[in-house]
Amino acid sequence: MPSPVIETHRLTRSFGAHRGIIDVDLQVEPGQIFGFLGPNGAGKSTTIRILMGLYHASSGTAQVLGLDPLRDAVELHRRTGYLPGELALYPRVTGREILDRFGSARGLRDTTYRDELIERFGAEVDRPTQTLSKGNKQKLGIVLAFMHRPELLVLDEATSGLDPLLQQEFITLLRETASDGRTVFLSSHDLDEVQRVVHRLAIIREGRIVVADTVDGLRRHAPRTIELTFDHDVDTTALARLDGVQVAGTDPRHVLLTITGPVAPVLRAIAPLDPIDLLARPADLDELFLDYYRSSDRPEATRAH
Amino acid sequence: MRTEIAQIDLRLRRRSIIWFTVGLAAYAFILVAMYPSVKSDASLGDLTANNPTVAAMLGVNGSLTAPTGWVNGNLYANFLPLMILLLTIGYGASSIAGQSEDGSLGLVATLPISRRRLVREKSFVLALLAVPIAVATMAFILLGRHYQLTLPTGAVIGSTVAILVMGVDFGLIAMIIGVVSGSRGLALGLTSALAAASYLVSSLAPVLSWAHTLRPVSLFYWAVGGDQLTAGPSLTAWAVLVLGGVALHLAAVVLIERLDIR
Repeated sequence: MPSPVIETHRLTRSFGAHRGIIDVDLQVEPGQIFGFLGPNGAGKSTTIRILMGLYHASSGTAQVLGLDPLRDAVELHRRTGYLPGELALYPRVTGREILDRFGSARGLRDTTYRDELIERFGAEVDRPTQTLSKGNKQKLGIVLAFMHRPELLVLDEATSGLDPLLQQEFITLLRETASDGRTVFLSSHDLDEVQRVVHRLAIIREGRIVVADTVDGLRRHAPRTIELTFDHDVDTTALARLDGVQVAGTDPRHVLLTITGPVAPVLRAIAPLDPIDLLARPADLDELFLDYYRSSDRPEATRAH
Repeated sequence: MRTEIAQIDLRLRRRSIIWFTVGLAAYAFILVAMYPSVKSDASLGDLTANNPTVAAMLGVNGSLTAPTGWVNGNLYANFLPLMILLLTIGYGASSIAGQSEDGSLGLVATLPISRRRLVREKSFVLALLAVPIAVATMAFILLGRHYQLTLPTGAVIGSTVAILVMGVDFGLIAMIIGVVSGSRGLALGLTSALAAASYLVSSLAPVLSWAHTLRPVSLFYWAVGGDQLTAGPSLTAWAVLVLGGVALHLAAVVLIERLDIR
């Protein structure tokens, strides 16, 4: 089995009185698109900066491409593309000047792919960067991160400021990258984007990983709802006793079930109650994500890979 | 030596370097062109010749209307170092701490270059930044011989280079304070205060005993505080200024490894 591209063990960084990250365990396999989600201030950028060798960890270990991010920074950066969350480009120089200098620092001689990316995203490269909109700066950031075809891309809020068409183009680029066998570590606020593109994801809240799973795995655990309508009053005690089932509503002829466990026992318990209508809704992943974001009393869980 | 990062930093400062150079060259030319009309002004000469305190404040030895007095009192002991320090301390504070604060250093620091090389390129920029100003100023001062303002060429070149090296040294101090604190503001403020103290110690040394005792720790003293425009900087002065710069550069190389870059 190939070694993980990113592996952290109890990675911790504290900032005095401010919370940083605490005991972060991550494992990203080669060729994966890994989503890294969390509310503002949860510790996403701190984790990413440690992975990129920009920040020092207070304790714990991190290995990226089998390298120590600080000690082996030059080799790591040669094989990695990075897009920071708050992209700050040098003012008063054009995008082309920045691309040329950074390309030269990377030893990039063949600029064909870089120029393809510029065209593909419509990046504005001939104007001084301080005159560019946030979206246009972000396009340059994407070109800078991808232009040397790195083995690993670490992207912090990469689609911030992009219009929906370019967001779609970006997702296509991510899929192409993964199909090349390269790996993407993607921090994002866009739940829809994450659901559509990532293979696995982790959610960080208040500096700790609260869940790490595949999207399908999360979907299996996401709450589904079944709405039942009866032409007579029913006793829902039998339903409420089932594992993973919550009964909502007080109307004895209109029952709403929230199900997080297997569905077959629920169906067996419903049948004797003789409903006249049944409406099942699919797993609501957005709601699950938001629940992880919001709730500070939810038990922490790291599910199987 | 690869210098992509240095090229960007120099490119960002191109305009300010040009305008600083034009401004200071014009000032130096006016100063030189004025000299024939002030050189015989006895009252101006006596201002410093008979008043060691005023002479000390202006960085002058003897008469203000003598060639060395005129150039020291109006340019080499104060205005030229000030202009060079504006550039070098400003860049030293922004080159790492400032760029880290505004986020632009994060992209640079994730290029396949070591932090050591990053400091080397920033120090290289620091060394080049004020060269056009110093060279243009020096050229006009050397043209002074056509305006009855004759100074020894070697001493003028030596003094100019010493002021440049002092500027680099203070720029490196600003860089180090920025690297340690991560704060551009602190680096700028603290280094400016150090430079001001260094200037005061050097200029007041002839009239105040405590300043005289402290003057070996003043970089200003080694660059402009003696009789540099006549005899050129001493070997000791070169050793302090150059070795000090090397030591500061090495300190920056070591300390940047500890910096958290945004």
